[in-house]
Amino acid sequence: MVLSEFAGVSMPDWIDALLRIIFIVALMTIMAFALIYLERKILARFQARVGPTRTGPIGTLQSIADALKLVTKEDVRPITADRWAFELAPYMAFVPVFLVFVPMPFTETWFIRDLNLGLLFVFGVLGLNIVGVVMAAWGSDNKYALLGGVRAAAQAISYEIPMLLIIVAVVMVAAGRLAVDGDASAAGSINAIVGDQTTTPYILLQPLGFFIFIIGMLAELHRPPFDMPIAESEVVGGYFVEYSGMRWGMFFLAEYTALFLLVVLASSLFLGGWNWPFGADVGLGLQIVLTFVKTSVMIVLVIGSRALFPRLRIDQLMSFSWKVLLPFSIVQVIANGIILAYGGPDWVVGLVSFGLLVALGGLVYYIMSRKQGEGARTVQTTPATPRVITAPEVTPVEAGGD
Amino acid sequence: MSDFGFHLAFWSLAAMTIGGASMIVVSRNLIHAVIWLVLSMLGIAGLYLTLSAEFIAVVQVLIYVGAISVLMLFAIMLTPRAERDNSQHIKTAGPAGVVVIMVMIATMWVAIDTDWGAVREAALTEQARLIGESLIKHYILPFEIGAVLLTAALVGAIALARQDDEDAAVHAASLQAELDDDGSVDPVDVVDPPLPTDGEAST
Repeated sequence: MVLSEFAGVSMPDWIDALLRIIFIVALMTIMAFALIYLERKILARFQARVGPTRTGPIGTLQSIADALKLVTKEDVRPITADRWAFELAPYMAFVPVFLVFVPMPFTETWFIRDLNLGLLFVFGVLGLNIVGVVMAAWGSDNKYALLGGVRAAAQAISYEIPMLLIIVAVVMVAAGRLAVDGDASAAGSINAIVGDQTTTPYILLQPLGFFIFIIGMLAELHRPPFDMPIAESEVVGGYFVEYSGMRWGMFFLAEYTALFLLVVLASSLFLGGWNWPFGADVGLGLQIVLTFVKTSVMIVLVIGSRALFPRLRIDQLMSFSWKVLLPFSIVQVIANGIILAYGGPDWVVGLVSFGLLVALGGLVYYIMSRKQGEGARTVQTTPATPRVITAPEVTPVEAGGD
Repeated sequence: MSDFGFHLAFWSLAAMTIGGASMIVVSRNLIHAVIWLVLSMLGIAGLYLTLSAEFIAVVQVLIYVGAISVLMLFAIMLTPRAERDNSQHIKTAGPAGVVVIMVMIATMWVAIDTDWGAVREAALTEQARLIGESLIKHYILPFEIGAVLLTAALVGAIALARQDDEDAAVHAASLQAELDDDGSVDPVDVVDPPLPTDGEAST
């Protein structure tokens, strides 16, 4: 669709497919380079530095210098590593992210394929990423890598559930609105959802959904405050601690591409993508500018969160997902169901979601303020408990050996 | 073109599925077996795609590859000595083989016996809706039984994983008795240690 229309010629299927793959790889690399440069510059500003300045004009060639260094670096494999798991893991982490490009609508007609199951496809494919991470963690034969990998997998699995549920809520709203025009079954397609947001971006209808999506996105991407899997001070470097050279670069590339794609997804689902506020009638040029403006604003927010928030603990992260986000997203789905079944107007949907968001914020504030008070008291009053250990613990399991 | 492409896709996916499945059985390392299982599952998802069953294919990837295999990896990595040589359990291979052959015969019988002609009449673009409707309308009882089963499994998992309060109390009491026999410090007192007064310190 996209390329044959763009070039204005018809071409055989396989050339079309090949061109699309080349397009994805090129866009992916350019975006990753741009994001690495931006992250360095923005973080530097947050920390009152100037960031890279020596490579090219205002340091713009820094990413290319980094890439050259990575490519020419020696690729070392630990002697105790599991050879195939170690060497194939970067591909397993990289290819799924690459596939997520397929249903992303950059303008009304610029996408690789407008899948009817686009949203489900994105999450199904992104889930594969975890297998690569766990393979890397286990294959490295390194305790820190294993810890980081287990953390990453636990985190990704637990945040995927509220994210998917909240997307169900969004799709319910979209199906209700699209049913007015006659085709509710298109609500799984990202492009159809963007097409519906001519006047109202879905952030007004599902504010809770937007916030849960952003939080889940930060957790999926291992971004602060959810970066325990790759926290240097806790697990050295996490699951890619043993990697070097281009294999390490592939993890990096996968991470930045996932950041870009999830941000594009968030701006398409909640901020109106190419559609809001000018509508579908403006030309493709303005549509792509609109998409990239929304995406850039959100990227700055995501990168800024690295400078603004301290890291959480892993148990806080898990209980936040299971005890707070999951119940709230279930309540959101049920509320949407009840309102839409009785034909409630859009403003009721938006108001209920906003009410839930306020309740979520209030709950988090209450829990955090209470926890802090308790913590302060325990430090003051409870003296350190000397433990009396009578005999060394014997673990018969390990004593057996292999 | 499309015919050749279809055959190429089918045979390579079939090779991927069956090759992966046989490597699960052959590989001696459990983690390797799970990675081969992932490959096999991906092959099955691809086969669903060649049958124009996109919804099932995506759900297969989402649930089996993305969630269940990761859960298996977790379970294996957190189990002591799970990475041992798999071949030492050769004794159970006979009964397991019998069970597998019986399951295979049953599956093949169902596959041959079913009238697949009816499936072609359904609109392929609306599979998700059709599956949802038939689950809620025609197959509501199996659907609900599945839900109850999953809930029971969830409750069971919590019951197994959770340290029982009574057990914990018994454990603490036995520990206490041990400590008392040794004549060592009573941990209950240690929690709130009496500060030495000036008089005691001087003596």
